Amino acid sequence: MVDQEPSVISRRRTLGGALAGGAAFAAGGLLNGCATRGDVRRRDTADPWRRFAGCTLNFVSENTAPTSAIAADAERFTALTGIHVNIVTLELSALVQKVALDLASGQSQYQIIYADSYQVLAPYADGLVDLREPASDDSLPGDDSDLADFFPLQMDVSGRFGRGDRVLALPYDCATMIWQYREDLFEAHHERMANDLGFDPTPGPQRSWEEYYRIAEWFNDNVDEVSYGTGHQAKQHDSLMCDFSNVLFAHGGQYFENGEHIGRFGAVDPGPSTLGSEEALAGAEFYRRLLSVADPASTTWDWTGLGAAFAAGRVAMCPNWHEFAADNERSLPGRVGYTTLPSGPAKSANMYGGAGIAINGNTAPNERDAAWLFLKWATSRKTQLRNLTGEVGGATPTRSSIYRAPEIRRAQQRPTGMPTMLTAPAVQQAWKPEYSGLRPKIPMWNECDTAIYTELSRMLAGDAAPRRAMRDARDHIDRIVSRGWVAAE
Amino acid sequence: MSTSEDVREPVRRRRKGAAPRRVGFTGRMMLPGIVPLAALTVLPFLTIVVMSFSDVRLLGGMRLDFAGLKNWGRFFTDPEMGWFWLRTAGYFALTLGLEMVLGVVLALCVWRLVRGRNLVLSLLLLPMFVAPVIVGLLGRFLTDPTFGLYTWLLERVGYDGDLLGGTFTAFAAVVAMDVWEWTPLIALITLAGLSAVPPTLREAAALDGAGRWQTLRHIVLPSISNVLLVALLIRAMDAIRYFDIIWVTTNGGPANATKIVPVRLYETAFRFFDFGYAAVVGLAMLFASIVVARLFVRMLDRKGLAR
Repeated sequence: MVDQEPSVISRRRTLGGALAGGAAFAAGGLLNGCATRGDVRRRDTADPWRRFAGCTLNFVSENTAPTSAIAADAERFTALTGIHVNIVTLELSALVQKVALDLASGQSQYQIIYADSYQVLAPYADGLVDLREPASDDSLPGDDSDLADFFPLQMDVSGRFGRGDRVLALPYDCATMIWQYREDLFEAHHERMANDLGFDPTPGPQRSWEEYYRIAEWFNDNVDEVSYGTGHQAKQHDSLMCDFSNVLFAHGGQYFENGEHIGRFGAVDPGPSTLGSEEALAGAEFYRRLLSVADPASTTWDWTGLGAAFAAGRVAMCPNWHEFAADNERSLPGRVGYTTLPSGPAKSANMYGGAGIAINGNTAPNERDAAWLFLKWATSRKTQLRNLTGEVGGATPTRSSIYRAPEIRRAQQRPTGMPTMLTAPAVQQAWKPEYSGLRPKIPMWNECDTAIYTELSRMLAGDAAPRRAMRDARDHIDRIVSRGWVAAE
Repeated sequence: MSTSEDVREPVRRRRKGAAPRRVGFTGRMMLPGIVPLAALTVLPFLTIVVMSFSDVRLLGGMRLDFAGLKNWGRFFTDPEMGWFWLRTAGYFALTLGLEMVLGVVLALCVWRLVRGRNLVLSLLLLPMFVAPVIVGLLGRFLTDPTFGLYTWLLERVGYDGDLLGGTFTAFAAVVAMDVWEWTPLIALITLAGLSAVPPTLREAAALDGAGRWQTLRHIVLPSISNVLLVALLIRAMDAIRYFDIIWVTTNGGPANATKIVPVRLYETAFRFFDFGYAAVVGLAMLFASIVVARLFVRMLDRKGLAR
């Protein structure tokens, strides 16, 4: 009998086996992840809304007012179409990550996407469905002439990208920066303020930024009801770029040559930055001066922090997104006024930050049509009106015809159950091209945005003079743009 | 009869490594653990190495296009990268230094307590159980200029600046938040070490006339130095990838004063979706972590604690 050598495995074989096993394990996972999902079933039915009854769609959205209202109302859509919609709401940066990774997977975990104009639409335009196809499909309800009801500026900024007439998203959200001020304080101190300042201080686009500055200074020195005249969203954050852009555009500055066109229609290669221009420098110098009389806490506030400070009665006025009107009315009922931002040498510019709702380009044909039904329903006149007046409320309609409705006209005056509509005259004016402020719609905007607000933050912290901040931001942007956009080429 | 040649043969073979070291029963038992571990670490690592030499395209399914040394070249010529590393080093040294000093002091205080020691220890350990992102949120709310409790207290004592608004104070504030959260861990580990100091040694020192400071300097600290080194290693590995609190409180600002390499890495990968360059930054961080870890392991080795 021969003694068998004990069965042993060499270290090399063990490591090799581990690697091979790991590879198999990972490959299995990948293959499983890559398994093609089937399309949804199309039913033969006379009711065009119920062709895809029984299917389930996923909608990923930023946690904004329109989606809260839609989520509260989603049962109606299910009752109408038989389609169930799972709504996932996330903070914007998390949403952008989800969308990017979903597009990278080549699948469509989320068939319906909240398309932020700068972080989703511009970088991933080629990954979205051209909505003219389902809109012109006779077998589906609705027609493409319906698209003309959206505000033209919103349609271009939130729905299109680059050349051509492609419609990649329907306007869904229309946040706009406007001048929010304590109407009660302006009324109470009007006479004295007018005498001291030598001009009528009533807020509006007829006021200049220079006058805004002087009003803020006057409040600092003369009024005890508030701690400071003005507050700003000047944290090292996207909000700082938005806040500064209002001043930059008002002074005639732009981020790129032909900036208004790039802001409205978008471009893949915007060319060299124009932040080194004298107009941009004038804007930067004024912004730094303005922040020197603003609440010092401004450099720690983004829009939420500023909104909370204004609602707490800490500042007399501020430029902020119109959607904060609902919070203002809760905290300071009847005491807040809204108007378009002051003018600079060039214009009154009011930053538009709207977004659209789009369909993932990786969806299967029937799934795509089912998603289109949701888009039609979510942006329909009836749904937008209901979202405005419903229990959740707070959303601002993107269809122009709604603003002509008598009940909406009445809601623009106090007392009103629709506080956001108090801002309607101001935002409608801000959506006209001559009053709009549009940041560049380019695929690499996120990185450019970071470069801009970092340099602005340096300027406000005293680490860089305005000229140097603008020059450094320009150089940084030029480096980013010259690298091009590789993620979605 | 064997010759001297025959006798030397097996020895030579072993030296050349021709006879492999065997992994027997133990190795086979470990295999189910090693396989997933390889899948979870080796494959992603190799993928990141490949990504660092590629342009990563996302649309329509992830695709890697060979980009040569472009990303690495950018890493070494990025005008801001040096500052991020310098800031990370400063942050690392400050948090680690403060946590070690305060942790040892707290542990010594608790160690000397006779009554209520368990209660004090429980209270002391509480911050450690809070998730870092919650610590960041707490810090943000407590220092909020509108309703923050700390802001209000600081105003009472005459400081009317904004903690997170100034470059120096913001940096100090995020360091303080990390120190608040993790000093208890050092205290806990130190306390465990202190409990192991033989009482006879201290009694002998006392009999020899050693004062408190001398006992601490010459008896206690040398006795717990090994434990302190382990605590240092654990915290060092954590501090080098610090992210949550900064992201929640300052977002890297103001004026990039709190932007350290992990924050930059996150931005590059998940805000700019520049995965090729992010892979380079990630690999550089991995390299830095390995260097720091090796440094500590060598120190442990010298003390005979690594094996």
